[in-house]
Amino acid sequence: MKAPILKIGPYLIASLQAELTDTDLLELQDALVEQVGRFRSRGVILDVTTLDVMDSFATRTLRNIAQAVGLRGADAVIAGIRPEVALAMVQLGLDLRLSCVRTTLDLEEALAILDHESKGSGRRG
Amino acid sequence: MNEERKPSAEWPLMQEMGITDREIARHQAFLEFGDEDIQELMSINELAQKYADPIIEDFYKHLLSFEEARAFFPNPELIERVKRAQKAYFRRLTQGEYDQAYIEDRLKIGAVHERIGLPVKLYLGMYTFYLRAVAARLFEAYRDAPERALEAYLSLMKVVFLDIGLAIDTYIYRREQLIRQQQEAMRELPTPVLQVRDRLLILPIVGVLESHRARQLTEQLLNSISATRAKVAILDITGVPIVDSKVANHLLQTVSAARLMGTTVILTGLSPSIAQALVVLGMDLSPVKTTVDLQSGLEEAERLLGYKLIPVGEGMAQM
Amino acid sequence: MADEVRVMIQSDADIVLARQQARGLAKELGFSASNLVVIATALSELARNIVQYAQCGEILLSRIEHGNRRGFVIIARDQGPGIADIERAMQDGYSTGGGLGLGLPGTKRLMDEFEITSGVGQGTTVRATKWMR
Repeated sequence: MKAPILKIGPYLIASLQAELTDTDLLELQDALVEQVGRFRSRGVILDVTTLDVMDSFATRTLRNIAQAVGLRGADAVIAGIRPEVALAMVQLGLDLRLSCVRTTLDLEEALAILDHESKGSGRRG
Repeated sequence: MNEERKPSAEWPLMQEMGITDREIARHQAFLEFGDEDIQELMSINELAQKYADPIIEDFYKHLLSFEEARAFFPNPELIERVKRAQKAYFRRLTQGEYDQAYIEDRLKIGAVHERIGLPVKLYLGMYTFYLRAVAARLFEAYRDAPERALEAYLSLMKVVFLDIGLAIDTYIYRREQLIRQQQEAMRELPTPVLQVRDRLLILPIVGVLESHRARQLTEQLLNSISATRAKVAILDITGVPIVDSKVANHLLQTVSAARLMGTTVILTGLSPSIAQALVVLGMDLSPVKTTVDLQSGLEEAERLLGYKLIPVGEGMAQM
Repeated sequence: MADEVRVMIQSDADIVLARQQARGLAKELGFSASNLVVIATALSELARNIVQYAQCGEILLSRIEHGNRRGFVIIARDQGPGIADIERAMQDGYSTGGGLGLGLPGTKRLMDEFEITSGVGQGTTVRATKWMR
């Protein structure tokens, strides 16, 4: 499996690289769903900072990952969509498919948001 | 009918200005300038060669006696250059050759005067000075045959008017060129991106948003978001007169792309007429946050960013 | 740069390869950063269609010149089952592969020129061009 997954406290960070094939992405999906269960992770950050292309398959898979880990109690955030990639995605109409997934500028922002959310839910709990 | 000879690179000004042989011929026909005129002009050529220099000298003495004209000729080399060119030109007026080389030469002199900024009135004034000076000398020389002098003078007037036409063409062409350059420069003006608070950007857009500028705007916004880590961006279109469906689509795409980068875009300054036009076009702007003006947009942005404005106490203000 | 580059498409790993090739060639031509992404994205969609529907096919990448304009041409060809109803396939949201169904109309939007020829049992050829502005 090519995409490394980093565990930082309650969060899992998956770094996607440009050379990932469709198969690699599906394997990543399986790995994340398994690890979220194993570690009881509260958040999953999908770091796409180094991706120079986000096509329909990648978008669909990331959405599926978000839904799958969501069912297991983790919030998913996609971090680091680059300006040119964002524009191409919008022209392709892919942004609509991600309307239910949180997207952030970068890793730092993703962590800030997840921290903010978990504090909130902590108080409510 | 022969194929029209296009001006070649040999005559750069003619080519640049798009002056064709046919146009010249049409102008000549309009002024009824024909072979008889050429004959007349050649008949006074000897006389003309004699007085070309003194007339040009007199003319520039007259021109430079006016302070406003002196301003355009800051150094004596320029004056000498221009005088030389004019003398050569006026000598050619009566030599019988009114070909492309002649036209090109005429355009060149006009261009030089335009470039130094000489007002067209002053430049054209030269011709009446010349005609009056020539008329005096012509009628003096043909004292015994005034009809001959008149014939020659009328032909001279025709060729001078042909030249005035070319001089005006030059001035107009250069002015239009300048306007085109300025328009181009304005088109290239990037929209300012203002960072007024941490993580808040404002882009005040002014002028017509056509495709090229809209694309530029999108690139600027997205790159600025990346560079400043902005969470909110305000696009103020108060200064945009028309928004058609193409531009509206572009704005929508920009907002969506910014959202993918985690940034909320607020559209402010949507005029009532633009809002109505967009409704008529069937554009759905509901996914976009809009406020009526920049101020309310700013307030909304601050709210989103978690800022709260706390007025300074009165006690402190008195200190 | 070679006049034409051909990439065989037989697996999803080839999609990545084709994408990298296209990006590299387009970069040589001098396309802007955003257009490189657009071209690579369009190519990814077309290559994946080959893998998904025809299992194998080829991608041809070439440069083109028209007057003083330069462009990049992608031809995606396969001998697969073909598309029965091209018009429907070109509508957003339509898909027989359980996917997003945005591959073809989306690609058309990304590129400047787009041509598709296909027939049941006759395979599919898509030709798309991106011009340098």
